[in-house]
Amino acid sequence: MPEGFHDVAWLERTRAQSDVAAWLALVPYAQHIGIDVTQDPRGDGLIFLLRPQERNIGNVLLPALHGGVVAAFMETAATLDLMLAAREPRLPRIVDVSIDYLRTARVVPTHARCALLREGRRLANVQVTAWQAQETEPVATARLHFVLAPPQGPDA
Amino acid sequence: MTPTDSSPPAHAEPDAEAWRRALQRFASVIPHTRELGLEVVAVAPPEVTMRLPWQPALLGDATRGLAHGGALTMLLDTVCGASVLCGLPSPEVCPTLDLRVDHYRPAVADQAIMARARVLRVTDSMVFTEGTLWQQPEQPIARGIGNFVRLGPRNTPPGFVEALFAEELFTEEQGHA
Repeated sequence: MPEGFHDVAWLERTRAQSDVAAWLALVPYAQHIGIDVTQDPRGDGLIFLLRPQERNIGNVLLPALHGGVVAAFMETAATLDLMLAAREPRLPRIVDVSIDYLRTARVVPTHARCALLREGRRLANVQVTAWQAQETEPVATARLHFVLAPPQGPDA
Repeated sequence: MTPTDSSPPAHAEPDAEAWRRALQRFASVIPHTRELGLEVVAVAPPEVTMRLPWQPALLGDATRGLAHGGALTMLLDTVCGASVLCGLPSPEVCPTLDLRVDHYRPAVADQAIMARARVLRVTDSMVFTEGTLWQQPEQPIARGIGNFVRLGPRNTPPGFVEALFAEELFTEEQGHA
């Protein structure tokens, strides 16, 4: 089996190296909307970046980013942040997401930071904040529940 | 195809086919959904049915061939937002206030994703909607609840309604992107 999320050795190695970019490269829709990841220069967390792209526009009049694209960005950030922050290598599967849109998301770089509020044996709760100019003025917040599956675990 | 001479004037009560064309125009003007080839299948106000053709860019887990959950959220936001346009007395620009999505089962590769949404309630300030996605009948893959804010006619650009129902105004828009 080629390297990928279901290759336990690869998943453990990339986790040990905090190589979240290697994970991002394997998520086609994340590539489509243009997501990057960086280490927070002022802390030990990750900051995700949604590049401004014409294809991410959802309102041509303003113009503004598509709210659903911002949601997909935040879900991707939550999933990968959780894979790194979890106690052991696990593959999160989304259960539900609730997103609040707080401000118009302009077609400029958008950032996201995640907080793992609860990691149980089977479930995790992740909170995401997305912002553009300043982190203190978020464009959206989201909370997501995930089921944590072992790599190569059975479907369900 | 319906001949164009059967189209009602912009201010008449549009029929289902006029609405379908109007919302297809809406989906085709939005760069994100235009690039993904989103189709409006049917409109029976205040209900909209769309079809997202499959393409590999929608994948979240390429190894297992599963769609990205975020692509499903994007589709629900779009179809719920489109239902808002046909659920109001007259179309207004309504941003999404919040969106809740429950994932019932994964969407699989190589099959189109169907989406249907309807307006449940319109108040002076809000439009409440719900939407469902499926690939096989009777097997929903996700359900969404989207609430949209009415900014009122004052914040809806002049010509917005006319543009929805008039090909030529949006053809220009499509051409430059």
